[in-house]
Amino acid sequence: MNGLTELILKIGKVDRRWIFIVLAIVVFIPILVPIGMPIRATVTTKVVYDTIENLPPNSNVLVSIEYSPSTKPENHPMAISILRHLFKNDHKVFVTCLWPDGQFMAQDALKQVAKEEFGKIYGEDYVLLGFRPGGEAVIKGIVSNIRKLYTVDVNQTKIDEIPMMEGIYKFSDFAFLFTVSAGFPGTVEWVQYASDPTGVPMSSGVTSIQVNEVMPYVQAGQMKGLLAGMPGAAEYEALIGQKGSATSGMDAQSIAHLVIVLFIILGNAAFFIERQRSRKY
Amino acid sequence: MSTTIILGAWIAVFLTFGIFSYLYKDNPFYKTAEHLFVGISAGYWTSLFFWTQIQPNLFGRLWPSSNYSSDSFWYMIYNGLGFFYSPGFPNGGVDKGHEIHNVVLGIPNIHYLIPFALGIMMLLSLIPKISWFARWGIAYTVGMAAGLRAYGFLNSNVIGQIKGTAASFSDPNLPFWSLTSPSIFNSIVILVGTITGLLYFYFSKEHKGILGKISKVGIYFLMISFGASFGFAVMGRISLLIGRFVDLIKYSGSEYYNATLWILVAMIIILGYDAFKNRGNNSSVSKDAA
Repeated sequence: MNGLTELILKIGKVDRRWIFIVLAIVVFIPILVPIGMPIRATVTTKVVYDTIENLPPNSNVLVSIEYSPSTKPENHPMAISILRHLFKNDHKVFVTCLWPDGQFMAQDALKQVAKEEFGKIYGEDYVLLGFRPGGEAVIKGIVSNIRKLYTVDVNQTKIDEIPMMEGIYKFSDFAFLFTVSAGFPGTVEWVQYASDPTGVPMSSGVTSIQVNEVMPYVQAGQMKGLLAGMPGAAEYEALIGQKGSATSGMDAQSIAHLVIVLFIILGNAAFFIERQRSRKY
Repeated sequence: MSTTIILGAWIAVFLTFGIFSYLYKDNPFYKTAEHLFVGISAGYWTSLFFWTQIQPNLFGRLWPSSNYSSDSFWYMIYNGLGFFYSPGFPNGGVDKGHEIHNVVLGIPNIHYLIPFALGIMMLLSLIPKISWFARWGIAYTVGMAAGLRAYGFLNSNVIGQIKGTAASFSDPNLPFWSLTSPSIFNSIVILVGTITGLLYFYFSKEHKGILGKISKVGIYFLMISFGASFGFAVMGRISLLIGRFVDLIKYSGSEYYNATLWILVAMIIILGYDAFKNRGNNSSVSKDAA
């Protein structure tokens, strides 16, 4: 027992760089040698899937991309999976970006899914309207008159010359909104300025750090489900039956969490033992 | 594979390891990566704002090409700027398909002169004597943002949240007990958490007696919320680490000339040599590790 106490105290005083090395190893090994841990969809992810599944065929769906390469491991698999689901169900996809880097992420995702996997035609099945600066003002612009805000698409083609833009004038012309968000402006602003005032249903995929901020909107029924970080993306990949980078990252994620929990327990145990000893003497 | 992609991979690997090397201690690799990040970010954002905001939305509306008239004095100003930088100020105006209205004195969309003037006023903050002009631009921005956000917050964060918290009780189809889906029990927890959390931030009365006990319950709810936030933050950071590792593994392949392995070995040798050379003087290491 005394030996165990001494070991815990020793671990409690370990140089933090050893902890970094241990974490690096436990993240690195499962990426190289996947274990294949089971992934079960949570209710919030299932609601997103069901909402898209229940949309009438050929619905106009707005997808807004608000993330940059810095959160690509979390957000990009969500964008890929959602696009796969939308194109599989033959919906028309309109893509906007509130972040400048989002345009590159959207181009990357559309090239992979729309062009290479589904062979969809630009301008008829999907359109990339691109980035516009202004944050909430852009959302307000899309809500009131999208054509005033987007006079040209990302290829500088006039909006009036794009076939699938026929009949699209304002936000309420869309059947559904999905945002892939990593911060401001993003999901919260879409709820506040677009979905709530117009009643157009929306869902979102957000980074883990945003989940606590966005979850109240889901609980209150202001949003139809949520993809929460990399696990949310992995769950969606499982639901559409097409595994991707999120699924392969989940083994490393789960094991890293276990190690972090272990370190927290050992750190706290060392703290309490130390405190007990100092009280004694 | 093209040379630029391979070179990009080598730079990405170097910068990733450069930033990671800070976990060992502050060193020239980290400093290089950090300074590159700051410099490139500043340049990137400046260029981005000009090309996405000022050029298409302001100059594109004040000097739209479809209303082009080379004789007018108004276009002479713009074409003068084009003399210095023609890609930014193409001869005859910007063609972004903007509508043209409010043409006064040959100036199309004349109301865009207001943001143009406010923007120039913001820049005047660089001249101390007339820097007060910048306040007008700031006042407009603050006033507009406050007005815009007040509605959104009231509608979605106050009214929407109250509606969402209260509505569930009146639903006869709602089960009493379920932790994973909407239930009366979950609604009660949300209601109790909201009320006790709000009362914790009520400072007009001393937190004693019943108010003290209720606010203590509020503290527990807040602690659980902070714990959940911390857990999600850790999860997010691990996800990003996984993303970097996936890229590093990809760049370790022979098609990238084993970029990861070469750069990792080189950095370890250089940092190891530095540590060996300064083995008597390890104060900086212990300070970083503390």
